[in-house]
Amino acid sequence: MKVKIKQWNGVASWLWVANDENCGICRAPFNGCCPDCKVPGDDCPLVWGQCSHCFHMHCILKWLNSQQVQQQCPMCRQEWKFKEGDTS
Amino acid sequence: MKDGRSVSMPPGLPAAWAAVTAALVSPVAPPAAPDETISDALALLCEQGLGQYVEGWLLETLQVRLTTDVAPEFWAGLEHLDGDSQERDRARALLDAFRTLFLRLEPFLGGLEQLGSWQNEGRGGLVGPGAHGLRERAFSVIRAILLFSPSPVLQQRVLEFYSRTFSVHMRQVREGLEGEEGPEEADGECVCPGCAALPQLCWCKEALEQLQELSHILSRLQLLERVSSEAVTSILHRLIEQRMEQRCRGEYESSFLADFNDWLEQVLGWLSRVFASEVGETGTRSVPADSKPDQPGGAILQRWRCHMHQFFCRIYVNMRIEELFSIIRDFPESIPAIEDLKFCLERTNQRQQLLTSLKSAFETRLLHPGVHTSDIITVYISAIKALRELDPSMVILQVACQPIRKYLRTREDTVRQIVGSLTGDAEGCSDLANELSRADPVTLETQDSEDEGSDPDEWTPDPTDALTDKMGSKRRSSDIISLLVSIYGSKEIFIDEYKTVLADRLLHQLNYNTAREIRNVELLKLRFGESHMHYCEVMLKDVADSRRINSNIREEEARLPAEEQPPIPLSAMILSSEFWPQLKEEKMELPAVISKAMEAYTHRFEKLKAMRTLSWKPHLGSVTLDVELEDRTLSNLSVSPIHAAIILHFQDKSTWTLEELSGALGVSQELVRRKLALWQQHGVVQEEAGGRYSILETASSRERPERAVMLIDSDEEGDSNTTTQSEQREEKLQLFWAYIQAMLTNLESMTLERIHSMLRMFVATGPGVTEMDVNELQAFLQKKVRDHQLIVSAGVYRLPKSSQ
Repeated sequence: MKVKIKQWNGVASWLWVANDENCGICRAPFNGCCPDCKVPGDDCPLVWGQCSHCFHMHCILKWLNSQQVQQQCPMCRQEWKFKEGDTS
Repeated sequence: MKDGRSVSMPPGLPAAWAAVTAALVSPVAPPAAPDETISDALALLCEQGLGQYVEGWLLETLQVRLTTDVAPEFWAGLEHLDGDSQERDRARALLDAFRTLFLRLEPFLGGLEQLGSWQNEGRGGLVGPGAHGLRERAFSVIRAILLFSPSPVLQQRVLEFYSRTFSVHMRQVREGLEGEEGPEEADGECVCPGCAALPQLCWCKEALEQLQELSHILSRLQLLERVSSEAVTSILHRLIEQRMEQRCRGEYESSFLADFNDWLEQVLGWLSRVFASEVGETGTRSVPADSKPDQPGGAILQRWRCHMHQFFCRIYVNMRIEELFSIIRDFPESIPAIEDLKFCLERTNQRQQLLTSLKSAFETRLLHPGVHTSDIITVYISAIKALRELDPSMVILQVACQPIRKYLRTREDTVRQIVGSLTGDAEGCSDLANELSRADPVTLETQDSEDEGSDPDEWTPDPTDALTDKMGSKRRSSDIISLLVSIYGSKEIFIDEYKTVLADRLLHQLNYNTAREIRNVELLKLRFGESHMHYCEVMLKDVADSRRINSNIREEEARLPAEEQPPIPLSAMILSSEFWPQLKEEKMELPAVISKAMEAYTHRFEKLKAMRTLSWKPHLGSVTLDVELEDRTLSNLSVSPIHAAIILHFQDKSTWTLEELSGALGVSQELVRRKLALWQQHGVVQEEAGGRYSILETASSRERPERAVMLIDSDEEGDSNTTTQSEQREEKLQLFWAYIQAMLTNLESMTLERIHSMLRMFVATGPGVTEMDVNELQAFLQKKVRDHQLIVSAGVYRLPKSSQ
């Protein structure tokens, strides 16, 4: 007997490769989106800092904009720097 | 009296008395004595103070005569015929009796006129109530004596006679309308349709003449109303009822109002014959000025017309109330009946009756376990449509459909049915889909808000039978979808259910074609508002995205050298897990070929979307495959992944035991056995002794079972990919378990009712507990008892010792 598979339609769900479930700022799941967005994924991406913490991009930008003096990671208070090559 | 007085009487007094009385009661109309004599005699009587006695004497005489002679003679004349006499003879006897009566009373009536006119003139100083007053008194005496206890024979005879003249009249009218021959004349019996006698014996004409004479006599004696009202009323009622039974019952597709109005006018023609002389007299005598000359009926006929109309409405409403359920079921074909009913119902006070009857009709005919949920919903929709025609205030709709809504709430599949028909995939129930795509949807949002758009001048108060609820008339919506959605009190349940249905459908078809779903979601957005449908939009976007990703990956693969081409064409539906309903979690090991292909796919996805990866749901999806056997090929089978995995395993090894398969797939043996059924049905796999399954390479080796087109093991519970409503419910109940445990720890033991009421108190906010009834809680607790998490004794629940 020989089985020939012509088409396999699978089902999968995507998820961010992150070290946490929820965004530290908005507390919403990474796999969802930030409170301002409607559609997750490409439209509401995650960004990583050099401190290896990650957030919804919109969340961390909002946070950084509100910091007048120094831009720090809200989790570890290190200076916030985007990790290279992640926002592509 | 007069003899006793005559002793001390002035001369001439007896003579004067005699002259006067003779003038009053003489059967001959012209006065017996010359006018002057009478005047003198009267003057003399009045002088002696006897003038007032003349009147009394006359009435007394009338009374005596009536009791002794006239009334007995009348009754005897009426009753002298026995039971088996001819109808025609009975009619004649009736008339004769009245004729004689009139003949006997005529002298008195003449005398009364005479005395009245004397009194009016005041001739000879005579005073009294005058002609009119005298007449009134005399007629009361006649009515009192004659009809004090009338024999039933009279009523019977009158009824019979009137019925006969009625049918004669109707025949004449019909002949007048249609020309000469009615349908009855065509048959062999050949009886006159009017008088039901053979044509040569027809007495139609006679009957009508008799009617006229009788009416005349009765009206002269002022007995017409007394004698005929009852008979006429009962005839009319019977006829209207009869006609209604024949014409209208079960017939909802045409209006009967106009037809009946015509007919009632014909009947009025007969009535005008019955009351003809009365009309004539009243027209000339008592109400000459204000009786309208163009209306032949006058006041009496007008009264009868109102009466008949009222009666017609009442009978009609009665009949339609009985039939309302069928009328609703036949909507919209039954619109004419609804409109008729609406017209009549406004004129009778029978709303309450309608409500009660309709409610019980629903309960007995619709709301029982034998009726399919979709049928109940269909009838409910018809009821909404029909009743909003019937009663624009929607009160009837609201009250009568209460039981349906309550009942639907207890059916588990209600939401799914409604959602299904909303999106147009339930067969036969396209109403809702049409309703959804209607041009002017009433959004559920704006309905809740204040709406002051309507003109205050057009405001009408609620009917008295309206339910007094705080929502008031504003919330009494007639919009079908909002009514259906509000069965459960919240639209969230519906939207959740829709999400599940949508997820199911997207995962089942897997052809990435979402045009219809997009349309539905857009329509639902108009009703439920953007925010509520947001999740569904994301789901649809996922489908579109998946298609793009698939084609991207496909392109990439195409650029690879031939030997690196993936062994199986794999495409994926990539979901945003946060936005889809919870999918059933099942673990399953796929054959290495497949999992390798999936790994490769994931790898490509990761390259495409930085920092993202895929988590496969191995049990979901669909597979198209060919099975090539030695002597035959099954091509283009569409199966589920687990079926495919099983048959792929058989490719490596032609004989497997359940145990081995279950080990290889990582699922239970029971499941494997059920899934194998499909391949057994296809005749690919056979079960051998010792629980072994092997491939049937050649068809001839065993009789192949009839191959059905596509047999999926039918006993599989819930084909759905998503968790069912009851499972979700179970989860909700699980929430309460923490509360229950805490309660029992503190209070040691509690009864079922106590637990229920406590839960109600603590968890009052959520929708879950308000919808949970005691039975459901009991079932839940029983389950806990079976799981040894709870102990029950003597109706009291407590926690087992160990867990305390």
